[in-house]
Amino acid sequence: MTVAVEVALTIPDNEARTALTTLRRLGVDLGALERADLWLFEVDAGRETELLETVRSIETIFNPNKHALRVRDTAPGPGEAWLDEPGGPGRLAGPPFVVAGRPLPGVARVDRYVAWRLRDRHGSPAAGKVVDRALETLLLNPAFQRAIR
Amino acid sequence: MSAVAAARVGILVFPGTNSEDETKRACEAVGLQTELVHWRTPVEDVRRYDALVLPGGFAYEDRVRGGAIAAHDPLVGVVREAAAAGKPVLGICNGAQVLLEAGLVPGLDAASGPQAGFARNAPGGRFVSRRVQLKLVAPPQRCVFTAHLKPGSLMPAWASHGEGRLAASQHVLERIVAGDHVVFTYADERGDATEAAVPNGSALAAAGLTNVAGNVLAVMPHPERDAWTFMHRDGAERAGARGDRAAMLAPSGGIALFAGLAAALS
Repeated sequence: MTVAVEVALTIPDNEARTALTTLRRLGVDLGALERADLWLFEVDAGRETELLETVRSIETIFNPNKHALRVRDTAPGPGEAWLDEPGGPGRLAGPPFVVAGRPLPGVARVDRYVAWRLRDRHGSPAAGKVVDRALETLLLNPAFQRAIR
Repeated sequence: MSAVAAARVGILVFPGTNSEDETKRACEAVGLQTELVHWRTPVEDVRRYDALVLPGGFAYEDRVRGGAIAAHDPLVGVVREAAAAGKPVLGICNGAQVLLEAGLVPGLDAASGPQAGFARNAPGGRFVSRRVQLKLVAPPQRCVFTAHLKPGSLMPAWASHGEGRLAASQHVLERIVAGDHVVFTYADERGDATEAAVPNGSALAAAGLTNVAGNVLAVMPHPERDAWTFMHRDGAERAGARGDRAAMLAPSGGIALFAGLAAALS
């Protein structure tokens, strides 16, 4: 089964703030912009809890002083775009998958993304055409990145 | 006053830029009147420069991607104008990333967005810091910065980046090749294009690319960090200067790129 783990900053996210400011200056009408690291684990049934406990204990993924971790849907929601680099070097080697010297139990596949969540001025998910415009304008370099919507 | 001495070069400094001083010294060493241009400088003042240089560093902390935020800075609007007007524009390392993110290089079909990018190094995605050789592979006249060099010239520089791998679609790469946009490739000390000479997995072994007109150059390694004889780690120039302070402090090696800028402005 697939487990999606989202790790987001609880302290101010300067990168998201800069992106929001830039997009607004370029005419993309947004109320808010959030960013998170996203891990999709293909894990053996029955080992999800063990995996989550392991992930929570790896500080290079999750630092409780500044991050919030949640299990979430395994597909992008409204107003979201997930970015990765299909031909890039970011893919973890495995199985077995090891992060910071810690094996990830029962994991057969790992996919990593940066998740951008765009909201309109009322706090609702941004319309699809606004997400498209934000990707085209700034968030995505299609030469080496891919956006999943 | 000579034409070179009268020419003014502006070195753009964004928050996070960190190589402006050595880049300024390299420009001054070839006789160019050079000034640092703060990112809040009014754009009308920036328009007065005869050439613009975007140095290395981490503009806007590489937020979103290396060069992505700076590519939308109002100063880069002036860079676009300068490029369109035929003025020389040089981007080094992070400055090269800015030029690709802005679509100024390779600049096919007058693009306004990126057609290529400098992605994370491969394999491994790790930062590299090592001396490299840049080999001039395009006809020298293809780019204003290399018109004074001999075909196949080698130039030392320092690769110092985590995102320097040229990446683009196969279609764009084919057009880059067909248009002689690759000015410099990585090579070994003998000038051979070995796999080991490429520090980052760059497509086409590319280290430097130019635009359609040849007046904009994006070069990933730092020539200004190997531009004085004392900087050379090895080679005949440094060996020959041993014991001679003036010779050791003389410009050489990577200074050739800045000499190209001076030649273009003369």
